[in-house]
Amino acid sequence: MDRRAFLSSSAMALAASQLPRVATAQATPVGKPLKLGFLIPRSGTAGLFGPSSEACIELAVNKINAEGGILGRPIEALLGDAGGAPSDTVQAAQRMWRRDGVEAIVGEHGSASREAVAGALRGQLPYVYSPVNEGGYCTDGVFTTGETPSQQLAPAIPYLAKERSIKRWYLIGNDYSWPRITNAAAKEFIEDSGGEVVGEEYHPFTTDNFDSSLANIRDSGAEAVLINLVGGASVVFNRAYASFGLDKQALRLGTLIEENTLAGIGAENSGDLYSVSGYFDALDTPAALAFRKTYYDTFGVDAPVLNTLGQSCFEAVLFLQAVIEKAGETSIDAITAASEGISYSGPRGDVTMSGRFVNANIYLAKAEGTEFKIIENFGGIASGTTCSI
Amino acid sequence: MESSVLFLLNTSYAVLTLALVVLGLAIIFGLLGVLNMAHGEFVAIGAYCAFAVQSAGLPLILSLPLAIITTGAVGWLIEASVIRHLYKRPFDTLLATWGLSILLREGIELAFGLEYRSVSEPVSGSVRLLGVDYPIYRIMLMVALLIGFAALYVWYRRSNAGVRVRAMIANPQLATIVGIDTQKLARLAFAAGAASAGLAGAMLAPLVRIEPFMGIDFLLQSFFVLVVGGLGSLEGLFIGSSLIGGAESAGSTLMGGTAGYVTVLLISILFLWLKPEGLHARR
Repeated sequence: MDRRAFLSSSAMALAASQLPRVATAQATPVGKPLKLGFLIPRSGTAGLFGPSSEACIELAVNKINAEGGILGRPIEALLGDAGGAPSDTVQAAQRMWRRDGVEAIVGEHGSASREAVAGALRGQLPYVYSPVNEGGYCTDGVFTTGETPSQQLAPAIPYLAKERSIKRWYLIGNDYSWPRITNAAAKEFIEDSGGEVVGEEYHPFTTDNFDSSLANIRDSGAEAVLINLVGGASVVFNRAYASFGLDKQALRLGTLIEENTLAGIGAENSGDLYSVSGYFDALDTPAALAFRKTYYDTFGVDAPVLNTLGQSCFEAVLFLQAVIEKAGETSIDAITAASEGISYSGPRGDVTMSGRFVNANIYLAKAEGTEFKIIENFGGIASGTTCSI
Repeated sequence: MESSVLFLLNTSYAVLTLALVVLGLAIIFGLLGVLNMAHGEFVAIGAYCAFAVQSAGLPLILSLPLAIITTGAVGWLIEASVIRHLYKRPFDTLLATWGLSILLREGIELAFGLEYRSVSEPVSGSVRLLGVDYPIYRIMLMVALLIGFAALYVWYRRSNAGVRVRAMIANPQLATIVGIDTQKLARLAFAAGAASAGLAGAMLAPLVRIEPFMGIDFLLQSFFVLVVGGLGSLEGLFIGSSLIGGAESAGSTLMGGTAGYVTVLLISILFLWLKPEGLHARR
């Protein structure tokens, strides 16, 4: 515990001691610690999401412990690296489960790792998958709180097609399941909006020369590029994109261009760049502003900038709090049953789970320099995936 | 028309930067007969120098001297402590430098972590060349490299140092007898090779991904160039870079990135099989 966290928790204890007895008992959790495992990227191309994710987890743990924990038990966060190969993520998950005795795992990492980890957990441990995802999967034991293509692209593609008169789309992504399945969904939305796909490309995570892709985009006459690249790959692509002057030819729409990625892309390379997400640092709803204030008050203005992935870690803990409190225990059967219809309120607003996926408020933002400006609120949208309970 | 201008520019960029990256490996392999498996890590150290300079808020140009000094010093130390004992034992140097590459990689990871880092270009934006927008930084880099290579070629052919290096390669015993300090020359050559790799890393830092394992790609590419071009001459280096850089560029433009890489692999395999000396071997 660092000094600031110590100070805030002692202040909390002091405040609690002034309260009536019942409240005191609630404010100082006394039960056996409830261990939660967090698999977050601390290396590799998604590594730039790590610092803000870590900070958000700390924030969530402090918040819940200050409120009396879950079922009166203080929560304890264990972190594992999910930035490498899926097999490494599985090892981290196994260590958390078998050795450290975590009672639930939160995953904020790629979908290849999710399938691998879910396979290793065999549906025996609650596993909350928090980031943007491809939807459509119903792996046992997995609860998804992130946004699906039906939430992000079903509204964003027709909106841009109409507002910017876009007909010709080019799809580019990293080569794994999330970009491929997301693009498959995107194709339907593009066709429905009267547009066509003029090119589609997938690159390994290690690609850092996009010259031939950029030449292809140029020659294709694309008017918009849908980007499903992750982290470092997205930074390199978007920089080169603008430095070749392509930002004057075609707008860019990203499903995972969050604030850290945008900072890497840089103000000079962020022309005509859109991002669609359930959460932005710039979101000015009361819930988002309250979250933002606590975050920067706790970690300072130089803290890693808030973004959808950090927020997703925070929200995953809120979900676990709600679902475990309702279930009264942490067994997978009780939690699965309790998950249906459960609601909680987080930085994205009120969230309800249905069929192990959640509804979400979706926003479209445009980059202005290295900041996002929200230009459209699509409102609450269903996930489009319903898994059996 | 515009597509072919873009293709030509991209190919020239690929060839020149490839030659820059290979230079260090070619110096060490060509002059000393040491297959330096840690070559890519020197490139990585150079790139991290650029990252460190930019993080410290200093002008990026300072990363060039910093990279040269850092990698030169590391190269010097490695030659003096390890490589010196292993000349004429190719397999042992291979193993030793492979071990060193792991050590350097772990060192980088300790200092900077496993995260991908990025360095922003010192000059952003693009210029219009024959109807095509091309990044200014790349144009500057290409011009600097052309001038640099021309100067290097003239120096290597004309200067006394060039003659001595060539004498040492041609006949080490005789070179020692006529008073050339081959030991010192070898150490200098190794440090120069390392420094040139570091310089390549610093110059390319704004254009590549920066992470501890980045070196492996550079090492592989460099090997392919040497396989095709042949060892121990600047001419071979340029021929190899042109063939590998051009093939990769053409392959990936016509058939996509994976096809570009496959083309390079096929060419390298064909050369190893049919013309193991390369196109322009010294011996």
